Amino acid sequence: MTFMGFVLAVCAVASGIGVIGFRNPLYSAFSLVANLMTMAGLYALLDAHFLAVSQVVVYAGAIMVLVLFVLMLLNLKVEGGAKLGLMRAGLALTAGVLILVTGLKPIMEHFSSVPAITLRENATKTVGDVASIGEQLFGRYVVQFELSSLVLLIGIVGAVMLAKRKHVQLAPRSVFGEAE
Amino acid sequence: MSSLLGYLGLSLLLFVIGAIGVCIRRNAIVVFMCIEMMLNAVNLSFVTFSKLLGNLDGQIAVFFVMVIAAAEAAVGLAIIISVFRNVASVETSDAAELKW
Repeated sequence: MTFMGFVLAVCAVASGIGVIGFRNPLYSAFSLVANLMTMAGLYALLDAHFLAVSQVVVYAGAIMVLVLFVLMLLNLKVEGGAKLGLMRAGLALTAGVLILVTGLKPIMEHFSSVPAITLRENATKTVGDVASIGEQLFGRYVVQFELSSLVLLIGIVGAVMLAKRKHVQLAPRSVFGEAE
Repeated sequence: MSSLLGYLGLSLLLFVIGAIGVCIRRNAIVVFMCIEMMLNAVNLSFVTFSKLLGNLDGQIAVFFVMVIAAAEAAVGLAIIISVFRNVASVETSDAAELKW
């Protein structure tokens, strides 16, 4: 891993810890934006240029704006009240360690022997620029590409349906009940 | 240590951080953001393997994951707003009742 990759990796882990560490959800959201940006940098280092750009535009741009919009709309207070229980934290940590161990074992077994040169040798074949990605997308994967547009359409319609639904019979606990 | 191990290890580490976040955070929006982070961790290993194996299929997979994540963000946030209308909170523990 180059020096740049190392710096980006450290930033990615730090901002990732920031996402789960900050009590204010707004800080978590901005931390996630930083995380997604560093991931875009790592994609660029791995010669996935198109993905790096679409990571910035789609993830750090569109999706995070949506998340921040909802955070602002709901006007949440800083997470407080009940502290994180010892048992809950212990369970979460155990789950994390288990995933780490089960993931680390196959990585160490199968990929520690792959020489570093392999990555550089294959580099010319897999430059993910717009031309080569587009060729694949509209060639081999054209059906999946069209289906993904259908998925997005259904997602949009579903979001509108969910957000529009009226809840009239829930007046006692509904926050918008009194206003109507 | 080869750079392949570095990328895969980083991917695994980010996935674990996301998983721990899903377990310990109560705010549904933060849980949602942790899930996005886990998706990104897997995307990173897709791109790494795409480079290692010398074909573009991994990057195409990442592209489709991004499409699904965008759709998921729209629907997931709409569900969170819908839950907020009913229970006036986005804490996951407040939305524990199936019926009231």
